[in-house]
Amino acid sequence: MTVVEILPDDTALRLARRARVLAAMEEADVDFLVVGREGNARYVSGAPRLWTAGSRAFGPGCVFVRESGAVHLLSTWDEGIPEEIPHENLYGITFNAMNFVTVLSKIEGASTARRVATDSMSGSSANLLPKAFPAAEFIDGEPMLRQIRRVKSPEEVEAIRASVRIAEEALAAATKALVPGVTERQLTAIFMEAMAAAGVTTPSGQDVAWITSRQDPWRRTNRDTPVQPGDLVAFEAGVVRAGYAGEVGRTHAVREGGHIDSELAQRTSALWERLLDACRVGAPLTGLLTAYDDAGVPPPPMPVARGLGLGFDLPLVTHSLPLTAGEQHIEAGMVFALTGYVWKEGVGALYVQEPMVTTESGPVSLSTTPLHEQGV
Amino acid sequence: MPAGLMAKAPPARIPAVPDFARMQRERMQRMQAIMQKQGLDALVLLGNTNVAYATGAIWPLGDSGRANFEQPVALVLGDDECPHLFTPMREDDRLREKMPADHLHGPVYLDFDEGVQLFATQLAGLVPSGAVIGMDEWTNALRRERSLLFASGAPADGGRVISMAKASKTPDELAAMREGLRITEQAIAEVQAQIAPGVRQTDLTATFLRTIFDAGADANILDPIWQVMPARREDGPWTTTGDLACPLLSTERALVEGDVLWVDLGISHAGFHSDFGRTWIVGREPTARQRAQYDQWQSIMGAVLEVTRAGATAADLTAAAMAAAGGTKPWMPHLYLGHGLGIDSAEMPYVGSDIGEAFDASLVLVDGMVLVLEPIVWDDGAAGYRSEEVLRITEDGWEPMTDYAYDPF
Repeated sequence: MTVVEILPDDTALRLARRARVLAAMEEADVDFLVVGREGNARYVSGAPRLWTAGSRAFGPGCVFVRESGAVHLLSTWDEGIPEEIPHENLYGITFNAMNFVTVLSKIEGASTARRVATDSMSGSSANLLPKAFPAAEFIDGEPMLRQIRRVKSPEEVEAIRASVRIAEEALAAATKALVPGVTERQLTAIFMEAMAAAGVTTPSGQDVAWITSRQDPWRRTNRDTPVQPGDLVAFEAGVVRAGYAGEVGRTHAVREGGHIDSELAQRTSALWERLLDACRVGAPLTGLLTAYDDAGVPPPPMPVARGLGLGFDLPLVTHSLPLTAGEQHIEAGMVFALTGYVWKEGVGALYVQEPMVTTESGPVSLSTTPLHEQGV
Repeated sequence: MPAGLMAKAPPARIPAVPDFARMQRERMQRMQAIMQKQGLDALVLLGNTNVAYATGAIWPLGDSGRANFEQPVALVLGDDECPHLFTPMREDDRLREKMPADHLHGPVYLDFDEGVQLFATQLAGLVPSGAVIGMDEWTNALRRERSLLFASGAPADGGRVISMAKASKTPDELAAMREGLRITEQAIAEVQAQIAPGVRQTDLTATFLRTIFDAGADANILDPIWQVMPARREDGPWTTTGDLACPLLSTERALVEGDVLWVDLGISHAGFHSDFGRTWIVGREPTARQRAQYDQWQSIMGAVLEVTRAGATAADLTAAAMAAAGGTKPWMPHLYLGHGLGIDSAEMPYVGSDIGEAFDASLVLVDGMVLVLEPIVWDDGAAGYRSEEVLRITEDGWEPMTDYAYDPF
């Protein structure tokens, strides 16, 4: 019995993505694109591959040739591989880096390619890639890819919305379990179980719940501390479905007498209004940083905004990188997780993270879960 | 039901409880000794697992895409007994217990030119000018940094320092790994009790994920594999090797009575990865033919274990496996007969990989290495049997790190 049930990404979606990459390669005069990052490889190829946690060292996971439009992909089998990527363009898992050189050098045009863009690099690849592309200059392809990926097509927005829906479903299960005595790790366990039961087995993060500190603006204990009545517990719910990350963050007071402090809720609401106001198309991304200043809220310990998409997308807006934020503007069709984080001494923190898509008529949330409980 | 590997040889030399402070001290001594030999004054590490090794920092690993904005970075200096850590988790009690406050720094963003410049400024205050720096990974933004890291061309390969330091595990590392393997086995027992026709692959994952976190795991590291094997090789997907396609992704596919499941998964615990592999039959007892596959697998595993000891080469192991399998290689050509396990799910030593036979002949096993052996028996027409065992190499042989039964065989 042949079972072919791992499906590639939707044809229209993957071909549209690939066409955008090809156009960018033409504009940037890039002959070959060699990507190692899984999100980039999926964007170009439309092929699902095994999810693993943690960073990966650079290697040639996918190769895109401008002249022929051919995609060459690291995959030992053809299950889940789009039909337009023929068997001869698949190269298998190898532990011998010289095998990559052999495979890459056989791709039509490799010997004469002038400009090869990569999304990252390592010492060993820097030594080996010139053997496969002897005539090439190696350039940074990541800015080009980020530029394309930053603005989402309507189909991509729907894919992210579908991921958010699963994240919310699993978040609801974890929230329901928030009672005195439960630990951060147990809440993570419940989230993961609900996520997989909903058909998605890959989280975007595995640090799902944390007790916010009443003494420090940003402080973590160990994951096995039981939550106490009155604790404010933050949840970061993120899943990767069909490659796309959907994330939503919320804070809940531990039940049995717990509640969200009304002043904290009001300050968060005020901050949130300023943040939404800064999400107008055409506004500089630094507006998201000044929204905190204007609301009198100290910078959060995590980025204020970061792109949602395949793997990692722009924008990345953090008080640590003010110049980077100043170089970019809000564009219609950006999708990002927007973060509100307000802390009050003796109470804890109210953390919210909302998946937003920007439109000409303003930012639109991709979630359906209320931002936070009313303050009491 | 045959008992697990420990029925054959109970482990005697692995401490019951790891001493993490001693573990980090010993790692630091190893790294600094290797750095000195290689003429390196400093090591900048970006790879998640390398950072965990160098600093002892534990955080739940996320999707690989998160590393672009959430990437802890380690700095190891040749003359400082404590590493520096740049991390968004700086205000973490678990870290503050381990590291002095002046060695804990805020997050850096090395995928951005501005982030690299800020990092270089911080480094300049910590690394003496003219220092020789090794790095494990680069970003393109890092390559543009000419003041320090790439001042004199490409930096030395810092990843090699970690590869060498981690190859042989210390007793505390073995004890920590044993904990992670025990959590994995505990979760797997829950999953195996659930195996029945109609249950979806994703349901098995749900149970697995729930149980590993409840049992103390830090993270899952691999979307768990519950692959339904075809009876014949040609009924499976096309492959570049002409051999089996494995591991294939799990879906919402419901199990059917008689399905042969090849299971492969792993978790992260205390900075180490675990690995687990078994073959299960859904809703039925194994047939005589399936039992014969299992028996042959045991005889191959037994033959390999017979020659496994410090001083043996990888080629000694592959030769024993092939002799027991009747002259053919009892492993998949795109993988290996065995691989190392530690801070990474698959690390040196690779045994029987496509690095080649000359490499296998030159690779000598050393006391303290942890090896995963994963031979397969393929019986075309009736699928096959695959399991994995994890063991620690000793001077006189090996000790088991895993102890899970072979049920239903």
